[in-house]
Amino acid sequence: MTTFLVNAGGLALMAAIVWWFWLSGSNSDNSDQHH
Amino acid sequence: MSEASVLKTALSISGASCQGCAKKIRHALEPLTGSTERVEVNLEDQTVALPENVDSAEAARIVTEAGYPAEPLVHNEPIGSCCASKNGKSAADKAPDSDTPAASTDVEPSDAGDGQIALAVSGATCASCVNTIEKALMSVPGVTHAHMNLADSTATASGDADPQALVQAVESAGYGARVIEDADAADDRKQEEDKKQYKVLLVKMAISLGLGLGLMIWGMGFGSMMVTEANQLTWINLGILTLGVMIATGGHFYTGAWKAFKHHNANMDTLIALGTGTAWLYSIVVASAPEALPEMARHVYFEASAMIIGLINLGQALELRAKGKTSEAVRRLLDLRAKTARVIRDGQEQDIPVEEVQKGDRIRVRPGEKLPVDGVITEGSTRIDESMLTGEPMPVGKGEGDEVSAGTLNTHGSIIYEATRVGSETALAQIIKLVKKAQGSKPAIGRLADKISSVFVPTVMLIAVMSALVWYNVGPEPAVVHMMVAATTVLIIACPCALGLATPMSVMVGVGKAAEYGALIRQGDALQTAGKIDLVILDKTGTITEGHPAVTRVHAANGDETRLLALAAGLEQHSEHPLAEAILDRARENDIEPEPVSGFEALNGKGVQGKLDSEPVRLGNRRWLEAEGLSVEALDDAAATITREAGTPLFLAVGQQVLGVIGVADSIKPDSEAAIRRLHDAGIKVMMVTGDVDATAKAIAAKAGIDDYRAEVLPEDKAEVVSEMRGKGHTVAMVGDGINDAPALAAADVGFAIGTGTDVAIESASITLMRGSLHGVPDAIEISRATVKNIHQNLFGAFIYNSLGIPVAAGLLYPVWGILMSPILAGAAMSLSSVTVVSNANRLRLFKASHTKVSAEERN
Repeated sequence: MTTFLVNAGGLALMAAIVWWFWLSGSNSDNSDQHH
Repeated sequence: MSEASVLKTALSISGASCQGCAKKIRHALEPLTGSTERVEVNLEDQTVALPENVDSAEAARIVTEAGYPAEPLVHNEPIGSCCASKNGKSAADKAPDSDTPAASTDVEPSDAGDGQIALAVSGATCASCVNTIEKALMSVPGVTHAHMNLADSTATASGDADPQALVQAVESAGYGARVIEDADAADDRKQEEDKKQYKVLLVKMAISLGLGLGLMIWGMGFGSMMVTEANQLTWINLGILTLGVMIATGGHFYTGAWKAFKHHNANMDTLIALGTGTAWLYSIVVASAPEALPEMARHVYFEASAMIIGLINLGQALELRAKGKTSEAVRRLLDLRAKTARVIRDGQEQDIPVEEVQKGDRIRVRPGEKLPVDGVITEGSTRIDESMLTGEPMPVGKGEGDEVSAGTLNTHGSIIYEATRVGSETALAQIIKLVKKAQGSKPAIGRLADKISSVFVPTVMLIAVMSALVWYNVGPEPAVVHMMVAATTVLIIACPCALGLATPMSVMVGVGKAAEYGALIRQGDALQTAGKIDLVILDKTGTITEGHPAVTRVHAANGDETRLLALAAGLEQHSEHPLAEAILDRARENDIEPEPVSGFEALNGKGVQGKLDSEPVRLGNRRWLEAEGLSVEALDDAAATITREAGTPLFLAVGQQVLGVIGVADSIKPDSEAAIRRLHDAGIKVMMVTGDVDATAKAIAAKAGIDDYRAEVLPEDKAEVVSEMRGKGHTVAMVGDGINDAPALAAADVGFAIGTGTDVAIESASITLMRGSLHGVPDAIEISRATVKNIHQNLFGAFIYNSLGIPVAAGLLYPVWGILMSPILAGAAMSLSSVTVVSNANRLRLFKASHTKVSAEERN
């Protein structure tokens, strides 16, 4: 059970990182084109 | 080009204000269009025309990346998503209050600092910070282009944005900012602040390292880093103490990380905050509830959190001190300014602050004093040491009517001069402005590093979580400790600070070094391209040669050279042609009185004529005299000798009798040959373009050691020669001084305006040489090569550090050798990487151009 929770938590954390820094946010989607 | 060219897709651009910019845009688009010829840049309309089949969205992206925010000018709908405004409006009708960071076309472009707002930014430490700040600035309405320079912690925004809005944008992104109003005062203030900051960082470093080391020694020597029932309370107390120290000495990392996080950004602060935070959180859980973890996993890492912050503070302190040294070149220029001026007003001499000097003021300068402003000498003569501005080592003789510059040193006599340019108009002030601007500019290679680092930090976070999971699932016991150590170490070691510093540090030192050698580099790109030059095209007059013709030979058919010169001088005294000057100079030198020639007439392409006692006197080329029925055969030998010596033979005839021939030549500058030799030594081919006839060009080329030449080239065709050579695959530098060289300078990969070049030439050139010597060209090329090499070393070092450091930190060596890196070691390595990069950039300060080495050896 603990193993499942730790792994699920880790994967969720990774998904959150991808979502927060790449997929959401007003200014991260077009920054590369300007610099 | 105009927008009327409906068959072509047009882009709207901003920020392109000179031929240099147009050239840059053409070159940037070359891969897309196949040729620079198929790109038209209209500076007036700020538009670019392209062949119809070219993807305008891609073109806009390329142009934007080249430093000129661009948008496709489409009339239906945006072609691509990248640069078109989100609301589907075209650039032309986009509302000025649009909140998209795309460029708006109704803003006046700025190039030389006009329309630009400079901000002093604090708290920026890495490449990710650069991206965050640039993004924040671009999001302010009215900003067309934003640029952050990490090396001197300044940001500039072009456009018509409200300065306070810019400050707020930067602050809300997690950094400190204030508008720079007086650049000089800002420099002094920054220096003061840096000194203070250095001390603060050292104190913070001492506190956090002290605690970290203390805990380590106590834990290992007297107690244990493992939590037991006996020491549990002590560890809880120590954990709270550690938290206090972490906040006091590293609080800025946590606030910075939080502000960045809120804006969906991640930077160096994020990694440090996560790394140290994870270590502390894990440790406090262990200390508070050890029973929740297996016995082997009850290890605390408070000392790691404290020591990491201490080491990073130490790294930042060392970096700050090294950064100060890189701006030495500008500081040295600033120090050249005189503080006071002795002004003569109403017949009274008085010392006043230099800021109060006005145009037209008469200023007295005594020997040993610095000149406070630019002007023209009205009384006296002296020798002036201009080495600080031009790199020219010998003091230059100056007399009445000669121009003098602020910051130069009067070495000899006392002079009075009239102020013509004061304050920010002086040549020195312009030079300082130019150097500062170039130091802050980013060559293409630096933009690549920024792009990588913008995705770097979130990627590292993913790697940290992944390695933690791997350790948990397949690692040995205590798995929970190993996963925490691996994740923390990955986060700490991966800080991209070295990556962010690699390019700007070297550019700053390189541009400063070039200024020391009298070469003003306008953009970072020129610095990068100059290193790749393999062909240098030289204009002849004023570049290879002095630009003032002189008489080289006088040959009279009857041996009476005095009369020959007297007649020639009599004719030429009415002319203003440089050849006339040369003949009159020779007559004056020999105390020869010009004959009273009247009825002067200049015949274009032939010569000059007049009358002496009703007899026609002619001075001109062979073709003309022969056409007039005169025979010059008797002077063939003398004329051939003159031509062989790169001179122009001028035949003089009175009536139907040819009296002699005078050779006039523009002599080669004494050091041109040596400079050309240096270019050859650097593996660069040298070519000359001139309007002279083939024989003269050939003679000059042979004398100066030039590989190839093009004779009889009309001024307007020089640019074509440059394009032709570029078409053959050469990276071409054009060196010239005049208005007529401007198109060729702009057409070249790198344009060098030499010496006292005209403003137009300087504007079109990417590098301006402040002294007349050709040595400036190899100097600038050598400095460019050294700087680019330095940048490569820095980037290579930073990449290698990260690409080796991260896998080791993640525990890749554990299965083979059982090595798992400590987070403390990661902190030390991270600090060391930035210090290494900054120190390597500082090495450039020791650069010496090859001719300086040679002359030093010769002296010995």
